[in-house]
Amino acid sequence: MEDLKQKLKVQIIEALNLQDTRPEDIDDNAPLFGEGLGLDSIDSLELMVLLERHYHIKVEDPREGRKILQSVASMAEFIQSKQTA
Amino acid sequence: MKGKCYIQGMAAISPQHTFEGDSSAQPMVAGSSNMLSCVEPDYRTFIPANSLRRMSRMLKIGLTTALKCMQDSGIAVPGAIVTGTGKGSLQDTERFIKEIRDYEERALNPTPFIQSTYNAVNGLIALQQKCTQYNNTFVHRGFSFENALLDSMLLLHEGAENVLAGAFEEITGEHFYIKSRIGQWKSETVPNNALHEHFSPGTISGEGAAFFLLDAKPSDKSYAAIAGMKTLYKPSPEKPGTALQQFLQQHGLSMPDVDLVLTGSNADSNYDFYYDVLDGMLQLPFKHLCGEYDTASAFALWLGAKMVKEQQVPAQWFPMLQQQPAQLKNVLIYNHFFGEQHTFMLLQSI
Repeated sequence: MEDLKQKLKVQIIEALNLQDTRPEDIDDNAPLFGEGLGLDSIDSLELMVLLERHYHIKVEDPREGRKILQSVASMAEFIQSKQTA
Repeated sequence: MKGKCYIQGMAAISPQHTFEGDSSAQPMVAGSSNMLSCVEPDYRTFIPANSLRRMSRMLKIGLTTALKCMQDSGIAVPGAIVTGTGKGSLQDTERFIKEIRDYEERALNPTPFIQSTYNAVNGLIALQQKCTQYNNTFVHRGFSFENALLDSMLLLHEGAENVLAGAFEEITGEHFYIKSRIGQWKSETVPNNALHEHFSPGTISGEGAAFFLLDAKPSDKSYAAIAGMKTLYKPSPEKPGTALQQFLQQHGLSMPDVDLVLTGSNADSNYDFYYDVLDGMLQLPFKHLCGEYDTASAFALWLGAKMVKEQQVPAQWFPMLQQQPAQLKNVLIYNHFFGEQHTFMLLQSI
């Protein structure tokens, strides 16, 4: 799980071009949107694409997406649950 | 087009040092390939970091030029935003198309799609400046900037104030290659500072952005008046000559009244003959500075207005200049885009 979170942080930084952010700057449980990284709605679409491209997971329900993209920890839990299902 | 309009502020990002400091004191930038690229500024002083991270090169160039232009004019919220671009953000278009292929039309990233739309720069300017006024982008190949300028002049004629008009264009390696296949560029490598010594088929490519804050009334800070513009689409070889005479007559001028002509002559032996109509007039070419692209006439307008304001030709950019013109009261711009879209623009001192 820790490895997955670390990998996700690197992928998020790359996908969203967060130039001055390092993986260690991202708290596992900090909110990705609003506070924390301060991401916006376009970023949420980019993160959906990230899940599809890297983990072959398609989020069909937008309401589900809101919960999944809450933090790095919630994204990692979602990915792991899909992979073990 | 009835009535003049006045350039109250302007800015340009180009392959020359045109953006920061005293551009007249800057030497000519000489490239080593047939593809001229912009000298880019530090965007962080103009655009918030969180917005900057997502923007592609063309958006940064376009938005920053527009913001500097407004800064120069002292107007933060324009009365309208009107631009022209032949191709918009090519980098985003190419990325989006490549991703369609690579990901088999699935999992497509929204950002390059959004930014590949031609009006993305206009949208960003409006968002950043909180401008909810008229907003339009013209995409008409070699007439893109001309139609944006015409629309701006019509808006001013209808009573609009402080219209932001501009153009932006970029070149990518991929697009340069595609256009080389149809012979647009010279087959031999020609540095831009020696362009006019290499008269042969094709030219060199370029890119850039230029923005102007226009108003119907002059002020102490006006750079120049745009007295008129005429466009000709695919004219016969004889047509530009008669059209030029008529254009000047409409403004109460004849050829000897024109102090200087900035020509789009680009050493392309396929289409350079059109400029023969200017024989006998004092001429200077400008495409060795910016290269050839759909909206290069916007660079010419920036350059012409700067010369009119300063009443001087920046000699270091024009090695072919033998003597400074006695005055720069009437400056004509004649440009065409690969022989198809022809434009005359008349600039006058205030």
